[in-house]
Amino acid sequence: MNPQQIGFAPGTLAIWFSLVAGIATCLAYYRALRLAPASAPERRAAEYGDQIRFARSLYLAFAGGIFVASALLLRVLLSHDFRISYVASYSGLDLPLNYLFSTFWAGQEGSFLLWLFFGGLIGFAVIQTAREQEPQVMIIYVLSFLGIVAILAKQPPFRFLAEVPPDGQGLNPLLQDPWMVIHPPVMFAGFASLSVPFAFAIGALWSKRWDGWVVRAMPWALFSMVTLGTAILMGGYWAYKTLGWGGYWAWDPVENTSLVPWLATVALVHGMFLQKNREKHRKINLILAILAFCCILYGTFLTRSGVLADFSVHSFVDLGITGWLVAIIGVFFFGGLGLLAYRWREIPKEPVIDPETGKEKEEPFLSRSVLFILSVTLFCASGIVILLGTSAPILTRMFGKASQVATSFYNVTHTPVAAIMVLLISLVPFITWRGEAPGSLLKKSVFSLLIGLCGFGLAFAAGVRKPMDLLIIGLSAVGLAASAEAIVLYVRRRAIRSMGGYLSHAGTSIMIAGILISGVYEEKAQVTLPKGQPIQVGTSTMTFTRTVFVNEDGEVKQFNQLNPALLPDRRAKQAMEVEVKSGTGKVWKAYPKMYQNERTQQLMANPDVRSTPLMDLYLSPQSYDPGSPARQEGTVLKLEKGIAKTVDGVTFKFIDFSADKSQVESATPRVTVTARLLVSAGAGPAELEARFVTLIGASGPGGTQADDVAIPGTEGRFRIRKTAASEGVIEIEVLGLNPGSDLKPATPESFSVDVTRKPLISLVWTGFYIMMAGGILALFRRMQDANRASLA
Amino acid sequence: MKKAYWAGAVIIIAFLALGLSTFTKSMTPYVTFDEAREAQRTVQVMGGLEKGTSRYDTSTKTLHFNLIDEKTRAVMPVAYRDIKPANFEEAVSIVAIGKYHGKEFVAEKLLVKCPSKYQGEEVEKKYGGPQKL
Repeated sequence: MNPQQIGFAPGTLAIWFSLVAGIATCLAYYRALRLAPASAPERRAAEYGDQIRFARSLYLAFAGGIFVASALLLRVLLSHDFRISYVASYSGLDLPLNYLFSTFWAGQEGSFLLWLFFGGLIGFAVIQTAREQEPQVMIIYVLSFLGIVAILAKQPPFRFLAEVPPDGQGLNPLLQDPWMVIHPPVMFAGFASLSVPFAFAIGALWSKRWDGWVVRAMPWALFSMVTLGTAILMGGYWAYKTLGWGGYWAWDPVENTSLVPWLATVALVHGMFLQKNREKHRKINLILAILAFCCILYGTFLTRSGVLADFSVHSFVDLGITGWLVAIIGVFFFGGLGLLAYRWREIPKEPVIDPETGKEKEEPFLSRSVLFILSVTLFCASGIVILLGTSAPILTRMFGKASQVATSFYNVTHTPVAAIMVLLISLVPFITWRGEAPGSLLKKSVFSLLIGLCGFGLAFAAGVRKPMDLLIIGLSAVGLAASAEAIVLYVRRRAIRSMGGYLSHAGTSIMIAGILISGVYEEKAQVTLPKGQPIQVGTSTMTFTRTVFVNEDGEVKQFNQLNPALLPDRRAKQAMEVEVKSGTGKVWKAYPKMYQNERTQQLMANPDVRSTPLMDLYLSPQSYDPGSPARQEGTVLKLEKGIAKTVDGVTFKFIDFSADKSQVESATPRVTVTARLLVSAGAGPAELEARFVTLIGASGPGGTQADDVAIPGTEGRFRIRKTAASEGVIEIEVLGLNPGSDLKPATPESFSVDVTRKPLISLVWTGFYIMMAGGILALFRRMQDANRASLA
Repeated sequence: MKKAYWAGAVIIIAFLALGLSTFTKSMTPYVTFDEAREAQRTVQVMGGLEKGTSRYDTSTKTLHFNLIDEKTRAVMPVAYRDIKPANFEEAVSIVAIGKYHGKEFVAEKLLVKCPSKYQGEEVEKKYGGPQKL
């Protein structure tokens, strides 16, 4: 490794230190495993305790190395150390403190380090909660991160550049958003947390602890569900508020690869609940815990290896780590499933035996177990289909041309998923573990069915006609009512801590209805607003009043009112002020932003969103036309040498040209090109000369001078606009031949905007909050369970 | 219980059948400009933006531009009836998904690759980065 590759030595050393300490941690825990009290006489208990303490201190070294590397990366970013390639690539002098933090995870290496950072942090909590399973769990847990540590050791984010640039490239302007400061850390905390259920599952296979692992791992599965879910929603909300394409979910590979592990985690949570209640269906959870983790690795591979570079707006470019990622996935996928296959026949089934007949008892079809199995199946089916769609480019490449699926693929396949999901949510409160007769089910659910009918009727009255949409909205209402009924019962019984599941189900019902209604029944209109002129858009009236600047504190100012000494003002963005008068007479000002990023020269647009509980009004800027006064503009002709072109009865033919470079060294350095043209109007052909002077070192309108040349026998004239002499092409502008068509009328200053009305999109966010609140409640409940449980 | 497994199996099979049939239907292969002109289905083409060809027609609310194949220098006129994507003019490459219709490729969706994606590489090219291992 050359010194440049090592770069900032303390950082790279910290990563290598962590790699070594990680391996040592695994070895120390392995030694502790062999001293475990269960398999050893009493006197070895003390020895076991010592060994565990030793392994823990090694873990502290492992995590410490990662923390030090992270702190050093943060330090070089905050101190603008542009010697370092990573700092120069993603950071810049213009960034305020909060966005300097974001530069930490703006690139691949930094985001891997962030993943490890949370891994290191979460590990301490795992040590506290794993109890009797600590040695096995910690070995697998640390191993699950060592691959990434190795990637970073090979490709540290501290590499030096050969020369030091004066400023960095700056942070991608799209990421300069408060949501993008918190979304990635939450996401990577979720990624890192998925190592925990995986480690417990492999530990269970290792030590044949078929039920104990679920008790300890369930709070962790819930933790992953809540963090990943929150991160996914934050990303969607950011897209909705910032990107301006009008939605929050685009089925992009990067989004999908975080959604699939989340679905697997939700399936795992349901499977674990089932196993805890029935003490069977053990294999499902082992499979799910292994697959959820592998999904994260596979998603990382898809989005970071560059295989999807042509198919996603998100994907990172190839860092040259594809081989490593494939190897890591291979080890955990085949290793995990291989161990499962090895133990498969040892996993006890424990069938329920009917005491009367002595035979295996059939569980009734309408029982809660069946609902749970169906829900797990549903989550898995959804995940598999999304994975299939996301992997389409790789799959199709094997058989020919790489292809991608349209987003309609996901929407079509997920309509039945949504329907079945709300159906299951509607049924679960009324069906006990023992089973339910159809008659009693109907009697119990009569209130919820009535509410569902109301929802159905409301949707129908609002104009929903598609049977599938009506069905899903109706069932969402049933699901919400059924879950609410169950929640009320729990509150009456003072068992609030146990109602997390139903709370989540209520939220899910609300969210599904919101996704459907806001997606299918949105109204979209593209309008051009001339300045000062009220335009009717749907039920409201919109007037483009002026262009302004909106600073980072949200204050609206004119350009000359901005105080360049203040940072929020310095980062002010240009916005269009649109006065909106709603149908009910309410008046407000909207500020969709449209500005040029100074560093990248990219034109950026941020929508303005006016949210009300019933409807969001979404204004997405499209284009701004500053307008122009009336002017004379001729016809432009591109002439190739020797080829004649005719306009308004006059034929032009470019013969040749000569360039005079004698003035290049003079006080006003210039090059004069003289072109000869054969021009034939009514008076017969004439050979004319036109001069075109290029001033060297000047740019803009004053950079060139051209003489007007009269066209004999007409009122018209022409002049050279451009020369590409080496290619034998000149461009001329012909004026005055047809005065009427030359006159271009004035165009007004105008602003084009996409106006979208999104009904009930608030239900998506509200439903989601309730869902996550339920998840957090369940997390606390399961943590208490785990704390109380003393297992061998 | 057996019935439950059957019900689960039926759901999975029905769902996978739906998934696979939708999968083949919604497939949009990457093709060359010539192939795109012949294709009957939705396809995707990729190229650079030919300088100076993009214009937004406010009356029809359509963005027109020419895609240019970097290798063959072939040109494909594209129409896009939607919001002009952010950073469109600075795109390093553009992926257009849609169908060839009449004289131009009518895009339903555009993917715009911006130079910012390649920042890291650019910096290392300019200021001399370490060798990739």
